[in-house]
Amino acid sequence: MCGQINLFRHFYENLCPSHTIYDINCPDYSFRKFTDDGHFLIAFSRTHQDLIVYRPSWLSYSCKGDCPFSLDAHLPPKAQCFDSFFHHLYTVSLASANEFICKDFFLYVHTLRFGLFATSTAQANDPTTSSAEGAVHGVPSIEKITFYLVRLDDGVVLDEKAFCNDFVNLAHCTGAFLYDDLLCIVSLRYQTIHILQIRESGNLVEVRKIGAYCQEDDELFLQSHAQVSPGSSFLPGIKQRLLSFIFRKTWNEEADQNMRVQHLKKKFYFHFQDYVDLIIWKVQFLDRHHLLIKFGSVDGGVSRSTDQGLSFFAVYNMETTEVVSFYQNSSEEMYSFFEQFYDFFNSVSRSTLHAQFISSHTNNMHALDQLLNIKNKSTSFSQFVKKMMLTLPYTCQSHSPSPYFDLSLFRYDDKLISAIDRHRHSTEHPIKFISLRQPNVVKFKIKPGAEGGGPDGGRPKKVSSFLFHPYLPLILSVQQTYMQPTVVNLHFRR
Amino acid sequence: MGSVVGDWPCFDPHNFTQLRPLEPTAQPSKLTPVTYHPTHNRTLPPPNQVITTESKNILLRQFYQKSEEKLRPKTKRAASENLMPEHSCKQLRGPASGL
Repeated sequence: MCGQINLFRHFYENLCPSHTIYDINCPDYSFRKFTDDGHFLIAFSRTHQDLIVYRPSWLSYSCKGDCPFSLDAHLPPKAQCFDSFFHHLYTVSLASANEFICKDFFLYVHTLRFGLFATSTAQANDPTTSSAEGAVHGVPSIEKITFYLVRLDDGVVLDEKAFCNDFVNLAHCTGAFLYDDLLCIVSLRYQTIHILQIRESGNLVEVRKIGAYCQEDDELFLQSHAQVSPGSSFLPGIKQRLLSFIFRKTWNEEADQNMRVQHLKKKFYFHFQDYVDLIIWKVQFLDRHHLLIKFGSVDGGVSRSTDQGLSFFAVYNMETTEVVSFYQNSSEEMYSFFEQFYDFFNSVSRSTLHAQFISSHTNNMHALDQLLNIKNKSTSFSQFVKKMMLTLPYTCQSHSPSPYFDLSLFRYDDKLISAIDRHRHSTEHPIKFISLRQPNVVKFKIKPGAEGGGPDGGRPKKVSSFLFHPYLPLILSVQQTYMQPTVVNLHFRR
Repeated sequence: MGSVVGDWPCFDPHNFTQLRPLEPTAQPSKLTPVTYHPTHNRTLPPPNQVITTESKNILLRQFYQKSEEKLRPKTKRAASENLMPEHSCKQLRGPASGL
Protein backbone atom coordinates (compact mmCIF):
# COMPACT_ATOMS: atom_id res chain seq x y z
CA MET A 1 0.00 0.00 0.00
CA CYS A 2 2.76 2.44 0.93
CA GLY A 3 4.69 1.68 -2.26
CA GLN A 4 1.63 2.54 -4.31
CA ILE A 5 1.20 5.92 -2.68
CA ASN A 6 4.82 6.77 -3.29
CA LEU A 7 4.40 6.08 -6.99
CA PHE A 8 1.12 7.96 -7.16
CA ARG A 9 2.95 10.99 -5.93
CA HIS A 10 4.90 11.17 -9.17
CA PHE A 11 1.58 11.93 -10.77
CA TYR A 12 1.59 15.24 -8.90
CA GLU A 13 4.46 16.44 -11.06
CA ASN A 14 1.81 16.93 -13.71
CA LEU A 15 -1.12 17.77 -11.54
CA CYS A 16 -0.27 21.21 -10.21
CA PRO A 17 -2.19 24.36 -9.49
CA SER A 18 -2.49 26.22 -12.75
CA HIS A 19 -4.78 29.14 -12.01
CA THR A 20 -5.11 31.74 -9.29
CA ILE A 21 -8.14 33.65 -8.18
CA TYR A 22 -6.71 36.74 -6.55
CA ASP A 23 -8.40 38.39 -3.62
CA ILE A 24 -11.27 35.94 -3.68
CA ASN A 25 -14.42 37.26 -2.13
CA CYS A 26 -14.67 35.36 1.13
CA PRO A 27 -15.79 35.98 4.68
CA ASP A 28 -13.29 37.82 6.80
CA TYR A 29 -12.17 34.85 8.83
CA SER A 30 -8.78 33.77 9.95
CA PHE A 31 -8.19 30.63 7.88
CA ARG A 32 -6.05 28.22 9.81
CA LYS A 33 -5.50 24.86 8.20
CA PHE A 34 -6.79 21.97 6.16
CA THR A 35 -7.08 18.83 8.25
CA ASP A 36 -4.53 16.17 7.30
CA ASP A 37 -7.17 14.00 5.67
CA GLY A 38 -8.47 16.90 3.59
CA HIS A 39 -12.02 16.67 4.91
CA PHE A 40 -12.19 20.04 6.66
CA LEU A 41 -10.92 23.60 6.44
CA ILE A 42 -10.60 25.18 9.88
CA ALA A 43 -11.12 28.90 10.36
CA PHE A 44 -11.64 31.23 13.28
CA SER A 45 -13.61 34.43 13.49
CA ARG A 46 -11.74 37.72 13.78
CA THR A 47 -13.11 38.07 17.29
CA HIS A 48 -11.25 34.84 18.15
CA GLN A 49 -14.34 33.39 19.68
CA ASP A 50 -15.94 31.30 16.99
CA LEU A 51 -14.83 28.22 15.13
CA ILE A 52 -15.94 27.98 11.51
CA VAL A 53 -15.56 24.74 9.62
CA TYR A 54 -15.81 24.26 5.87
CA ARG A 55 -15.82 21.20 3.69
CA PRO A 56 -13.40 21.62 0.77
CA SER A 57 -14.98 20.45 -2.45
CA TRP A 58 -13.69 20.28 -5.94
CA LEU A 59 -14.77 22.99 -8.27
CA SER A 60 -17.35 22.08 -10.83
CA TYR A 61 -19.23 24.50 -12.96
CA SER A 62 -21.19 24.59 -16.12
CA CYS A 63 -21.22 27.21 -18.81
CA LYS A 64 -23.50 27.85 -21.73
CA GLY A 65 -22.31 27.06 -25.19
CA ASP A 66 -18.72 26.03 -25.81
CA CYS A 67 -16.90 25.80 -22.54
CA PRO A 68 -13.56 27.54 -22.89
CA PHE A 69 -10.74 25.29 -21.64
CA SER A 70 -7.81 27.52 -22.41
CA LEU A 71 -6.00 29.02 -19.49
CA ASP A 72 -6.61 32.52 -20.77
CA ALA A 73 -10.34 32.08 -20.87
CA HIS A 74 -12.17 33.54 -17.94
CA LEU A 75 -13.92 31.39 -15.46
CA PRO A 76 -17.63 31.96 -15.23
CA PRO A 77 -18.43 34.24 -12.27
CA LYS A 78 -19.95 31.44 -10.24
CA ALA A 79 -16.73 29.49 -10.47
CA GLN A 80 -14.81 32.35 -8.89
CA CYS A 81 -16.78 32.19 -5.68
CA PHE A 82 -15.31 31.00 -2.45
CA ASP A 83 -18.52 29.02 -1.96
CA SER A 84 -17.83 26.99 -5.07
CA PHE A 85 -14.77 25.55 -3.40
CA PHE A 86 -15.79 25.45 0.22
CA HIS A 87 -19.06 24.45 1.71
CA HIS A 88 -19.76 26.04 5.07
CA LEU A 89 -20.64 23.31 7.57
CA TYR A 90 -21.23 25.20 10.81
CA THR A 91 -20.05 27.94 13.13
CA VAL A 92 -19.56 27.10 16.79
CA SER A 93 -18.83 29.52 19.58
CA LEU A 94 -15.95 28.18 21.64
CA ALA A 95 -14.84 31.15 23.66
CA SER A 96 -17.07 33.43 25.63
CA ALA A 97 -16.69 36.75 27.43
CA ASN A 98 -13.04 37.34 28.19
CA GLU A 99 -11.72 34.18 26.56
CA PHE A 100 -10.13 33.93 23.14
CA ILE A 101 -9.40 31.03 20.85
CA CYS A 102 -5.70 30.49 20.38
CA LYS A 103 -5.43 30.66 16.59
CA ASP A 104 -2.09 28.85 16.61
CA PHE A 105 -3.43 25.80 18.35
CA PHE A 106 -5.15 22.97 16.51
CA LEU A 107 -4.65 19.23 16.64
CA TYR A 108 -6.60 16.73 14.57
CA VAL A 109 -7.55 13.23 15.66
CA HIS A 110 -7.97 11.78 12.19
CA THR A 111 -9.33 8.36 13.18
CA LEU A 112 -12.30 9.89 14.94
CA ARG A 113 -12.47 13.21 13.06
CA PHE A 114 -12.18 15.19 16.24
CA GLY A 115 -10.43 18.51 16.52
CA LEU A 116 -8.69 19.80 19.62
CA PHE A 117 -8.80 23.54 20.15
CA ALA A 118 -7.69 25.82 22.97
CA THR A 119 -9.03 29.02 24.44
CA SER A 120 -7.43 31.20 27.04
CA THR A 121 -8.06 34.32 28.99
CA ALA A 122 -5.61 37.15 28.51
CA GLN A 123 -2.30 36.75 30.31
CA ALA A 124 -2.57 39.23 33.10
CA ASN A 125 -0.56 37.88 35.99
CA ASP A 126 2.88 39.20 36.59
CA PRO A 127 5.29 36.36 35.91
CA THR A 128 7.65 37.48 38.62
CA THR A 129 5.20 36.70 41.36
CA SER A 130 4.09 33.19 41.96
CA SER A 131 2.07 32.72 45.02
CA ALA A 132 0.72 29.30 44.26
CA GLU A 133 2.31 26.27 45.82
CA GLY A 134 4.30 24.21 43.41
CA ALA A 135 4.36 26.89 40.75
CA VAL A 136 7.64 27.71 39.12
CA HIS A 137 8.86 31.21 39.74
CA GLY A 138 9.26 33.07 36.48
CA VAL A 139 6.62 31.28 34.43
CA PRO A 140 3.59 33.46 33.67
CA SER A 141 0.14 32.47 34.77
CA ILE A 142 -3.05 32.50 32.74
CA GLU A 143 -6.33 32.60 34.57
CA LYS A 144 -7.91 29.86 32.49
CA ILE A 145 -6.84 27.73 29.55
CA THR A 146 -9.49 25.39 28.20
CA PHE A 147 -9.02 22.60 25.69
CA TYR A 148 -12.07 21.67 23.66
CA LEU A 149 -12.60 18.40 21.86
CA VAL A 150 -14.96 19.02 18.94
CA ARG A 151 -16.49 16.46 16.61
CA LEU A 152 -15.75 18.12 13.30
CA ASP A 153 -18.50 16.34 11.38
CA ASP A 154 -21.14 18.37 13.14
CA GLY A 155 -19.41 20.83 15.47
CA VAL A 156 -20.56 19.26 18.72
CA VAL A 157 -18.25 20.02 21.63
CA LEU A 158 -17.66 16.59 23.13
CA ASP A 159 -15.50 17.39 26.12
CA GLU A 160 -13.31 20.06 27.61
CA LYS A 161 -10.43 20.23 30.03
CA ALA A 162 -9.52 23.39 31.85
CA PHE A 163 -6.26 24.47 33.45
CA CYS A 164 -6.63 27.33 35.90
CA ASN A 165 -3.88 29.73 36.92
CA ASP A 166 -1.51 27.71 34.84
CA PHE A 167 0.56 28.13 31.74
CA VAL A 168 0.61 25.86 28.70
CA ASN A 169 2.60 26.92 25.70
CA LEU A 170 -0.16 27.02 23.10
CA ALA A 171 1.76 28.75 20.33
CA HIS A 172 2.14 26.36 17.40
CA CYS A 173 0.94 23.47 19.58
CA THR A 174 4.25 23.45 21.44
CA GLY A 175 2.75 22.46 24.75
CA ALA A 176 0.77 19.47 23.54
CA PHE A 177 1.45 16.32 21.60
CA LEU A 178 -0.97 13.84 20.08
CA TYR A 179 -0.05 10.21 19.47
CA ASP A 180 -2.93 8.02 18.32
CA ASP A 181 -5.47 8.47 21.08
CA LEU A 182 -3.00 9.74 23.66
CA LEU A 183 -2.59 13.42 24.31
CA CYS A 184 0.05 14.98 26.51
CA ILE A 185 -0.27 18.53 27.74
CA VAL A 186 2.62 20.20 29.51
CA SER A 187 1.80 22.49 32.37
CA LEU A 188 4.87 24.70 32.42
CA ARG A 189 3.85 26.51 35.57
CA TYR A 190 3.34 23.42 37.68
CA GLN A 191 5.89 21.33 35.82
CA THR A 192 3.44 18.52 35.23
CA ILE A 193 2.92 16.39 32.16
CA HIS A 194 -0.74 15.48 31.84
CA ILE A 195 -1.39 12.33 29.81
CA LEU A 196 -4.96 12.12 28.57
CA GLN A 197 -6.72 9.56 26.46
CA ILE A 198 -9.23 10.55 23.81
CA ARG A 199 -11.94 7.96 23.88
CA GLU A 200 -14.18 7.13 20.95
CA SER A 201 -17.10 8.48 22.93
CA GLY A 202 -15.37 11.85 22.86
CA ASN A 203 -14.31 11.91 26.47
CA LEU A 204 -10.96 13.29 27.51
CA VAL A 205 -9.84 11.01 30.28
CA GLU A 206 -6.84 11.77 32.44
CA VAL A 207 -4.59 8.71 32.46
CA ARG A 208 -1.67 9.95 34.51
CA LYS A 209 0.13 13.02 35.72
CA ILE A 210 3.89 13.07 35.72
CA GLY A 211 5.70 15.72 37.67
CA ALA A 212 5.53 15.86 41.42
CA TYR A 213 4.67 12.18 41.39
CA CYS A 214 5.40 9.47 38.86
CA GLN A 215 3.43 6.45 39.98
CA GLU A 216 -0.29 6.74 40.62
CA ASP A 217 0.08 5.86 44.30
CA ASP A 218 3.20 7.92 45.03
CA GLU A 219 1.22 10.71 46.64
CA LEU A 220 -0.71 8.36 48.91
CA PHE A 221 2.45 6.51 49.89
CA LEU A 222 4.36 9.66 50.74
CA GLN A 223 1.53 11.15 52.76
CA SER A 224 1.07 8.04 54.82
CA HIS A 225 4.74 7.14 55.34
CA ALA A 226 7.01 10.09 55.02
CA GLN A 227 7.60 12.41 57.88
CA VAL A 228 8.54 15.61 56.23
CA SER A 229 10.07 18.09 58.63
CA PRO A 230 8.76 21.64 58.33
CA GLY A 231 10.63 23.75 55.85
CA SER A 232 11.83 20.88 53.73
CA SER A 233 10.16 19.24 50.80
CA PHE A 234 10.84 16.46 48.43
CA LEU A 235 12.06 17.13 44.98
CA PRO A 236 9.40 16.37 42.35
CA GLY A 237 9.25 12.72 41.33
CA ILE A 238 10.40 13.30 37.78
CA LYS A 239 13.35 15.33 39.02
CA GLN A 240 14.33 12.56 41.43
CA ARG A 241 14.26 10.05 38.62
CA LEU A 242 16.40 12.33 36.50
CA LEU A 243 18.96 13.01 39.21
CA SER A 244 19.28 9.35 40.09
CA PHE A 245 19.94 8.52 36.46
CA ILE A 246 22.58 11.23 36.18
CA PHE A 247 24.14 9.99 39.42
CA ARG A 248 24.34 6.38 38.21
CA LYS A 249 25.70 7.42 34.83
CA THR A 250 28.35 9.62 36.42
CA TRP A 251 29.18 6.90 38.96
CA ASN A 252 29.84 4.43 36.17
CA GLU A 253 31.94 6.77 34.10
CA GLU A 254 34.84 6.36 36.46
CA ALA A 255 36.02 2.80 36.98
CA ASP A 256 38.65 3.59 39.56
CA GLN A 257 36.96 3.54 42.98
CA ASN A 258 39.43 6.03 44.37
CA MET A 259 38.75 8.52 41.64
CA ARG A 260 35.05 7.97 41.65
CA VAL A 261 34.13 10.34 44.43
CA GLN A 262 36.23 13.08 42.90
CA HIS A 263 34.57 12.49 39.56
CA LEU A 264 31.14 12.64 41.14
CA LYS A 265 31.95 15.88 42.89
CA LYS A 266 33.10 17.47 39.65
CA LYS A 267 30.43 16.15 37.33
CA PHE A 268 27.42 15.75 39.54
CA TYR A 269 27.51 17.56 42.85
CA PHE A 270 29.07 20.69 41.44
CA HIS A 271 26.14 20.97 39.03
CA PHE A 272 23.53 19.58 41.41
CA GLN A 273 21.64 22.82 41.86
CA ASP A 274 21.70 23.49 38.13
CA TYR A 275 20.10 20.11 37.52
CA VAL A 276 17.52 20.74 40.24
CA ASP A 277 16.67 24.11 38.70
CA LEU A 278 15.99 22.63 35.27
CA ILE A 279 12.39 22.83 34.12
CA ILE A 280 10.46 20.83 31.54
CA TRP A 281 10.17 22.84 28.33
CA LYS A 282 8.60 20.51 25.84
CA VAL A 283 7.49 16.91 25.58
CA GLN A 284 6.65 14.44 22.84
CA PHE A 285 5.71 10.78 22.67
CA LEU A 286 8.28 8.41 21.21
CA ASP A 287 5.78 5.57 21.50
CA ARG A 288 2.85 4.81 23.78
CA HIS A 289 5.12 4.27 26.77
CA HIS A 290 8.03 6.60 26.24
CA LEU A 291 8.33 10.36 26.36
CA LEU A 292 11.10 12.60 25.09
CA ILE A 293 11.36 15.50 27.52
CA LYS A 294 13.34 18.63 26.89
CA PHE A 295 14.69 20.36 29.97
CA GLY A 296 16.13 23.83 30.20
CA SER A 297 16.33 26.96 32.27
CA VAL A 298 13.27 28.88 33.38
CA ASP A 299 14.00 31.77 31.00
CA GLY A 300 14.12 29.64 27.91
CA GLY A 301 10.93 27.74 28.56
CA VAL A 302 8.52 30.52 27.86
CA SER A 303 10.32 32.71 25.39
CA ARG A 304 10.24 31.90 21.71
CA SER A 305 13.82 32.82 21.20
CA THR A 306 15.95 30.56 19.09
CA ASP A 307 18.83 31.00 21.46
CA GLN A 308 21.03 27.94 21.41
CA GLY A 309 21.68 27.93 25.09
CA LEU A 310 22.04 24.86 27.21
CA SER A 311 19.21 22.37 27.21
CA PHE A 312 18.87 18.66 27.85
CA PHE A 313 16.91 15.71 26.53
CA ALA A 314 15.64 12.86 28.64
CA VAL A 315 13.86 9.70 27.51
CA TYR A 316 11.34 8.65 30.16
CA ASN A 317 9.48 5.34 30.36
CA MET A 318 6.01 6.04 31.74
CA GLU A 319 5.37 2.42 32.73
CA THR A 320 8.55 1.80 34.69
CA THR A 321 8.86 5.52 35.59
CA GLU A 322 12.55 5.34 34.79
CA VAL A 323 14.67 7.79 32.92
CA VAL A 324 16.26 5.79 30.13
CA SER A 325 18.63 8.34 28.63
CA PHE A 326 19.90 11.83 29.26
CA TYR A 327 21.77 14.00 26.78
CA GLN A 328 22.91 17.57 26.55
CA ASN A 329 21.78 19.47 23.45
CA SER A 330 25.35 19.51 22.13
CA SER A 331 25.68 15.74 22.36
CA GLU A 332 27.06 14.13 19.22
CA GLU A 333 25.42 10.84 20.12
CA MET A 334 22.03 12.53 20.27
CA TYR A 335 22.77 14.17 16.94
CA SER A 336 23.58 10.79 15.41
CA PHE A 337 20.10 9.59 16.41
CA PHE A 338 18.66 12.75 14.87
CA GLU A 339 20.53 12.17 11.64
CA GLN A 340 19.76 8.46 11.34
CA PHE A 341 16.34 8.03 12.93
CA TYR A 342 14.56 11.37 12.60
CA ASP A 343 11.36 9.71 11.33
CA PHE A 344 11.00 8.00 14.69
CA PHE A 345 11.00 11.34 16.45
CA ASN A 346 8.24 12.24 14.07
CA SER A 347 6.28 9.58 15.96
CA VAL A 348 3.48 9.39 13.48
CA SER A 349 1.19 6.45 14.00
CA ARG A 350 1.08 4.03 11.09
CA SER A 351 -2.52 4.75 10.23
CA THR A 352 -1.98 8.37 9.20
CA LEU A 353 -1.70 7.73 5.50
CA HIS A 354 -0.45 10.96 3.98
CA ALA A 355 1.72 12.00 6.88
CA GLN A 356 4.01 9.00 6.33
CA PHE A 357 5.34 10.67 3.21
CA ILE A 358 6.39 13.95 4.71
CA SER A 359 9.94 14.47 3.44
CA SER A 360 12.66 14.37 5.99
CA HIS A 361 16.36 13.72 5.82
CA THR A 362 15.83 10.11 6.85
CA ASN A 363 13.40 9.21 4.07
CA ASN A 364 14.54 11.50 1.29
CA MET A 365 18.03 11.74 -0.12
CA HIS A 366 17.56 15.32 -1.31
CA ALA A 367 16.66 16.40 2.19
CA LEU A 368 19.66 14.46 3.49
CA ASP A 369 21.88 16.24 0.95
CA GLN A 370 20.61 19.57 2.22
CA LEU A 371 21.34 18.59 5.81
CA LEU A 372 24.83 17.31 5.05
CA ASN A 373 25.53 20.45 3.06
CA ILE A 374 24.72 22.61 6.06
CA LYS A 375 26.73 20.27 8.28
CA ASN A 376 29.81 20.49 6.08
CA LYS A 377 29.58 24.24 5.71
CA SER A 378 29.17 24.93 9.41
CA THR A 379 32.20 26.41 11.12
CA SER A 380 31.43 24.84 14.46
CA PHE A 381 30.05 21.33 14.66
CA SER A 382 28.85 21.91 18.19
CA GLN A 383 26.85 24.97 17.13
CA PHE A 384 25.43 23.02 14.21
CA VAL A 385 24.35 20.22 16.54
CA LYS A 386 22.67 22.66 18.91
CA LYS A 387 20.86 24.26 16.00
CA MET A 388 19.55 20.92 14.81
CA MET A 389 18.49 20.00 18.33
CA LEU A 390 16.21 23.03 18.35
CA THR A 391 13.81 21.00 16.21
CA LEU A 392 13.46 18.37 18.93
CA PRO A 393 11.11 17.42 20.46
CA TYR A 394 9.09 17.33 17.27
CA THR A 395 6.07 19.65 17.14
CA CYS A 396 2.96 17.63 16.48
CA GLN A 397 1.24 18.01 13.09
CA SER A 398 3.51 20.89 12.17
CA HIS A 399 4.31 19.65 8.67
CA SER A 400 1.91 19.69 5.74
CA PRO A 401 1.62 16.30 4.01
CA SER A 402 1.02 17.96 0.63
CA PRO A 403 2.89 16.23 -2.21
CA TYR A 404 4.05 19.65 -3.43
CA PHE A 405 6.47 19.71 -0.52
CA ASP A 406 7.84 16.31 -1.43
CA LEU A 407 11.53 16.90 -2.01
CA SER A 408 11.79 14.02 -4.47
CA LEU A 409 9.30 15.78 -6.73
CA PHE A 410 9.85 19.52 -6.37
CA ARG A 411 12.48 22.05 -5.47
CA TYR A 412 11.44 25.27 -3.79
CA ASP A 413 13.00 28.02 -1.74
CA ASP A 414 12.38 26.98 1.84
CA LYS A 415 12.94 30.50 3.09
CA LEU A 416 9.84 31.55 1.23
CA ILE A 417 7.68 28.49 1.73
CA SER A 418 7.92 25.10 3.38
CA ALA A 419 5.90 22.25 4.81
CA ILE A 420 6.09 23.82 8.25
CA ASP A 421 3.13 26.11 8.69
CA ARG A 422 4.45 29.43 9.79
CA HIS A 423 3.80 32.99 8.85
CA ARG A 424 6.51 34.37 6.61
CA HIS A 425 7.42 37.79 5.34
CA SER A 426 5.86 38.28 1.95
CA THR A 427 7.89 38.42 -1.15
CA GLU A 428 7.19 40.39 -4.28
CA HIS A 429 8.38 37.56 -6.46
CA PRO A 430 6.35 34.47 -7.20
CA ILE A 431 7.34 31.35 -5.29
CA LYS A 432 8.45 28.76 -7.81
CA PHE A 433 8.06 25.02 -7.55
CA ILE A 434 10.59 23.49 -9.90
CA SER A 435 10.48 19.89 -11.04
CA LEU A 436 13.36 17.90 -9.66
CA ARG A 437 13.53 15.56 -12.61
CA GLN A 438 13.48 18.36 -15.15
CA PRO A 439 15.64 20.97 -13.46
CA ASN A 440 14.71 23.93 -15.61
CA VAL A 441 11.02 23.39 -15.68
CA VAL A 442 8.93 25.48 -13.32
CA LYS A 443 5.90 23.35 -12.67
CA PHE A 444 3.88 26.03 -10.98
CA LYS A 445 4.22 29.34 -9.19
CA ILE A 446 2.46 30.87 -6.26
CA LYS A 447 2.26 34.59 -6.61
CA PRO A 448 1.06 35.93 -3.28
CA GLY A 449 -0.47 38.79 -5.20
CA ALA A 450 1.53 41.73 -3.91
CA GLU A 451 -0.11 44.71 -5.45
CA GLY A 452 2.65 47.21 -4.95
CA GLY A 453 3.54 49.64 -2.21
CA GLY A 454 1.55 52.09 -0.14
CA PRO A 455 0.60 55.59 -1.22
CA ASP A 456 3.95 57.05 -0.33
CA GLY A 457 5.85 54.41 -2.26
CA GLY A 458 6.94 52.61 0.87
CA ARG A 459 6.26 48.90 1.19
CA PRO A 460 4.12 48.09 4.17
CA LYS A 461 5.13 44.91 5.89
CA LYS A 462 3.20 41.94 4.65
CA VAL A 463 3.01 38.53 6.17
CA SER A 464 1.96 35.49 4.17
CA SER A 465 0.69 32.14 5.20
CA PHE A 466 -0.12 29.20 2.98
CA LEU A 467 -2.71 26.52 3.46
CA PHE A 468 -2.08 23.45 1.31
CA HIS A 469 -4.73 20.83 0.87
CA PRO A 470 -3.13 17.46 1.74
CA TYR A 471 -3.75 15.86 -1.64
CA LEU A 472 -5.73 18.15 -3.97
CA PRO A 473 -4.01 20.81 -6.08
CA LEU A 474 -5.69 23.45 -3.97
CA ILE A 475 -3.83 26.13 -2.01
CA LEU A 476 -5.00 29.15 -0.09
CA SER A 477 -2.48 31.94 0.32
CA VAL A 478 -3.33 34.55 2.87
CA GLN A 479 -1.63 37.92 2.87
CA GLN A 480 -1.90 40.13 5.88
CA THR A 481 -0.78 43.72 5.74
CA TYR A 482 -0.68 45.99 8.71
CA MET A 483 -3.76 48.22 8.87
CA GLN A 484 -5.17 46.80 5.63
CA PRO A 485 -7.72 44.13 4.92
CA THR A 486 -6.46 40.58 4.58
CA VAL A 487 -6.20 39.23 1.05
CA VAL A 488 -6.99 35.59 0.32
CA ASN A 489 -5.92 34.04 -2.96
CA LEU A 490 -6.93 30.65 -4.23
CA HIS A 491 -4.55 28.58 -6.32
CA PHE A 492 -5.99 25.52 -8.00
CA ARG A 493 -5.87 23.41 -11.10
CA ARG A 494 -8.40 24.32 -13.74
CA MET B 1 -6.58 -23.87 -39.86
CA GLY B 2 -8.15 -22.54 -36.74
CA SER B 3 -6.32 -19.50 -35.50
CA VAL B 4 -5.33 -19.36 -31.84
CA VAL B 5 -7.08 -16.04 -31.60
CA GLY B 6 -10.20 -17.44 -33.22
CA ASP B 7 -12.36 -15.02 -35.14
CA TRP B 8 -11.24 -11.87 -33.40
CA PRO B 9 -10.82 -8.90 -35.71
CA CYS B 10 -7.25 -8.55 -36.91
CA PHE B 11 -5.45 -5.80 -38.77
CA ASP B 12 -3.67 -8.25 -41.01
CA PRO B 13 -5.25 -11.65 -41.59
CA HIS B 14 -1.81 -13.15 -42.02
CA ASN B 15 -0.83 -12.28 -38.44
CA PHE B 16 -0.56 -15.16 -36.03
CA THR B 17 -0.61 -17.74 -38.85
CA GLN B 18 2.81 -19.01 -37.80
CA LEU B 19 1.55 -19.89 -34.35
CA ARG B 20 1.13 -23.53 -33.59
CA PRO B 21 -0.73 -24.77 -30.53
CA LEU B 22 1.55 -26.41 -28.00
CA GLU B 23 1.99 -30.19 -28.19
CA PRO B 24 0.27 -31.92 -25.29
CA THR B 25 3.42 -33.89 -24.47
CA ALA B 26 5.33 -30.65 -23.97
CA GLN B 27 2.95 -29.55 -21.24
CA PRO B 28 4.92 -29.69 -18.03
CA SER B 29 1.84 -30.41 -15.98
CA LYS B 30 3.24 -33.49 -14.35
CA LEU B 31 6.58 -31.95 -13.45
CA THR B 32 7.10 -31.78 -9.74
CA PRO B 33 9.28 -29.00 -8.34
CA VAL B 34 12.67 -29.96 -7.00
CA THR B 35 12.70 -30.40 -3.27
CA TYR B 36 15.77 -29.51 -1.22
CA HIS B 37 16.60 -31.28 2.01
CA PRO B 38 19.11 -30.06 4.59
CA THR B 39 22.14 -32.28 5.04
CA HIS B 40 22.62 -31.35 8.69
CA ASN B 41 20.57 -30.08 11.60
CA ARG B 42 22.92 -27.39 12.90
CA THR B 43 20.67 -24.60 11.82
CA LEU B 44 17.39 -25.92 13.11
CA PRO B 45 15.55 -23.48 15.36
CA PRO B 46 15.01 -24.48 18.97
CA PRO B 47 11.74 -26.40 19.31
CA ASN B 48 10.13 -23.86 21.62
CA GLN B 49 11.17 -20.77 19.67
CA VAL B 50 8.58 -18.03 19.38
CA ILE B 51 9.20 -15.14 17.00
CA THR B 52 7.57 -11.85 17.92
CA THR B 53 7.95 -8.23 16.87
CA GLU B 54 10.18 -6.08 19.00
CA SER B 55 7.90 -3.67 20.80
CA LYS B 56 10.41 -0.86 20.87
CA ASN B 57 11.24 0.96 17.65
CA ILE B 58 14.81 1.29 16.50
CA LEU B 59 15.28 4.74 18.02
CA LEU B 60 14.22 3.55 21.46
CA ARG B 61 16.40 0.47 21.12
CA GLN B 62 19.34 2.77 20.45
CA PHE B 63 18.56 4.87 23.52
CA TYR B 64 18.33 1.76 25.69
CA GLN B 65 21.43 0.19 24.23
CA LYS B 66 23.61 3.25 24.72
CA SER B 67 22.30 3.69 28.25
CA GLU B 68 23.00 0.10 29.15
CA GLU B 69 26.56 0.51 27.95
CA LYS B 70 26.99 3.60 30.09
CA LEU B 71 25.38 2.12 33.17
CA ARG B 72 27.17 -1.21 32.99
CA PRO B 73 29.76 -1.31 35.77
CA LYS B 74 33.18 -1.04 34.25
CA THR B 75 36.16 -3.03 35.54
CA LYS B 76 39.34 -1.13 36.20
CA ARG B 77 41.32 -2.96 33.54
CA ALA B 78 38.66 -2.48 30.91
CA ALA B 79 38.49 1.18 31.78
CA SER B 80 42.19 1.74 31.55
CA GLU B 81 42.33 -0.10 28.24
CA ASN B 82 39.54 2.07 26.94
CA LEU B 83 41.05 5.27 28.19
CA MET B 84 44.57 4.82 26.88
CA PRO B 85 44.56 3.09 23.54
CA GLU B 86 47.26 5.37 22.24
CA HIS B 87 49.64 4.22 24.93
CA SER B 88 49.47 0.58 23.96
CA CYS B 89 53.22 0.58 23.63
CA LYS B 90 53.48 1.04 27.38
CA GLN B 91 53.46 -2.03 29.55
CA LEU B 92 51.53 -2.24 32.81
CA ARG B 93 53.87 -2.71 35.75
CA GLY B 94 53.39 -6.06 37.32
CA PRO B 95 53.80 -6.59 41.07
CA ALA B 96 57.09 -8.47 40.65
CA SER B 97 58.71 -6.00 38.31
CA GLY B 98 62.00 -4.57 39.42
CA LEU B 99 62.06 -0.90 40.17
